[in-house]
Amino acid sequence: MRRSAAVRAAIALLALAPLVAVAVGVGLSLGAGTLSLGAALRGVEPDATVLFRLRIPRVVLAAIVGAGLSVAGVALQALLRNPLADPFVFGLSGGAAIGAALSVAITGTALGAAGVSAAGWIGLLPTQFAAVLGSLAAAVLVFTLGRARGRLHPERALLVGVVFNSFASALVIALEAVLAPEKTQAVLLWLAGTLGYEPEPVLVAAGAVVLVAAAILTALAGRLNLLALGDEGAAALGVDVEWTRLLSFFAASAAVGAAVALTGLVGFVGLVVPHAVRLVAGPDHRVVLPASALGGAAFLVLADAVARVLFRGLGTEPPVGAVTALLGAPLFVLLLRRRT
Amino acid sequence: MTAPLLAIDSVRYRHAAHVPEAVAGVSLRVDPGEVVGLIGPNAAGKSTLARIACGLLRPATGTVRLRGDDAFALARRERARRVAFLSQEEPADLPFTAREVALMGRAPHLGLWALEAPGDRALAVAALAEADALDLADRPVAQLSGGERQRVFLARAFAQDAALLVLDEPTAALDLAHQVLLVTAVRKRARKGRGALLVLHDLALAGAACDRLVLLRGGRLLAEGGPQDVLRPEVLGEAYGTQVDVVPDPATGQPLVAPRIPR
Repeated sequence: MRRSAAVRAAIALLALAPLVAVAVGVGLSLGAGTLSLGAALRGVEPDATVLFRLRIPRVVLAAIVGAGLSVAGVALQALLRNPLADPFVFGLSGGAAIGAALSVAITGTALGAAGVSAAGWIGLLPTQFAAVLGSLAAAVLVFTLGRARGRLHPERALLVGVVFNSFASALVIALEAVLAPEKTQAVLLWLAGTLGYEPEPVLVAAGAVVLVAAAILTALAGRLNLLALGDEGAAALGVDVEWTRLLSFFAASAAVGAAVALTGLVGFVGLVVPHAVRLVAGPDHRVVLPASALGGAAFLVLADAVARVLFRGLGTEPPVGAVTALLGAPLFVLLLRRRT
Repeated sequence: MTAPLLAIDSVRYRHAAHVPEAVAGVSLRVDPGEVVGLIGPNAAGKSTLARIACGLLRPATGTVRLRGDDAFALARRERARRVAFLSQEEPADLPFTAREVALMGRAPHLGLWALEAPGDRALAVAALAEADALDLADRPVAQLSGGERQRVFLARAFAQDAALLVLDEPTAALDLAHQVLLVTAVRKRARKGRGALLVLHDLALAGAACDRLVLLRGGRLLAEGGPQDVLRPEVLGEAYGTQVDVVPDPATGQPLVAPRIPR
């Protein structure tokens, strides 16, 4: 890479901007019904309502979640020095599952009523609220258990995360045995990653969280590069390794928390978008982080549009978490083969 | 009189409870213009002392000063502008190119978004040339041989532009010509008022490369002085527990150390 990081980042963002624009265009024009964009913009009903109340919030939602999961994936891969790390590696998926399952189990009790009112105050469903709480609690637990003698050990944290996620799925299976089947069905479907229609304040709040997290991580990008040299190598170049880890961990967790609140667990995006970006743009995080935000947003908007169109005839929608993997896996293999 | 680049005063360090001290009360200084060699048998505490000198390990007692300032009171980035460290254990599987790794040496000089200026890029290229790694510039480090990689990491240390270089066994992976190149580059820097602390195993090279040698054993200082004073059969025999011969180089008079191996 002969060009400076600033120039390469600018090139990557300029190259990705049209992709995002196309994705948004596709996302806005495809859906359960047909829509005339021109009519909608002139205020003709029902097209205007479909565009402004359904399609635009849905596209914005997908973009926020795709960007948040992708930047979190980049950060966690760098901070754990492991290419297999995904946004849920710190036990976030297990925590979200426990939270959601528990909320379903105890809704109707006094504790459940308190949870419902707290969640309603924020504008989230109790299940969403509980899932976010569960995933963030799990992240803090795994991060804490991954530390020994005053510093984070990546292998240790990864192991604890894997063990915790297994423990959580066992717990959820046990809860399922106790709960009514239709209740567990709803929880499982939501956990599989479903894009719905969120109230505007929730969208704005989640978007702000993802934006701030992406900015913090991009500011840390130079330090994340140096972490590849090892803790000592980074420290010898003036990096406060512990502080960098802690700050990037919290920024990534906040972005993932926002994504979990909006959609449950959308897999694959946070693992594969960063790798796809690296295959094209190289390993420099100062380029990879902002590029992954745009790439992740475009990818999830497109995946959602494809999901809506493919299953239009069936009158249903698969969880977008399934579509991302169905669509992303072949695309990624193609990219991998072309580059090597 | 300018402050010494490095002044270590009676430092002690233990890696874990219930193990012997790795460094048990050592003092050491490097003045501007000086190349100092740290020699001694395995587990003498050389690498530990090198890390203490860079502020990477904090000694239990004793002080470390870089140009007169307490190394542990300096901001991390300021410390990294005063001392550059090359470890024995640099990673082999980096996805970055040699140029990008050399540019990492500029990190302590960059601002919030860590974006390098043209001046930083020029310094990185000069550092690559100084380490004879310019032809590797655009190759990923993971694809290089051990010796090539070592030259790239050396370029990173040069690009850091610190007055003091601390190099832990920098010549271990290098062929003869590149050992000479490294020593020449380090000595050239010293002539401009900089300095270096080199951990070396090759005693003949240490004698040729360094102005002063510090011999450690069991975490303690066993001998210190010019190569002629330290590289003597009775001193080395005691330090390493094996018999050695030392003969003067017929051309330069520098001490040449040869192990005595029964056949």
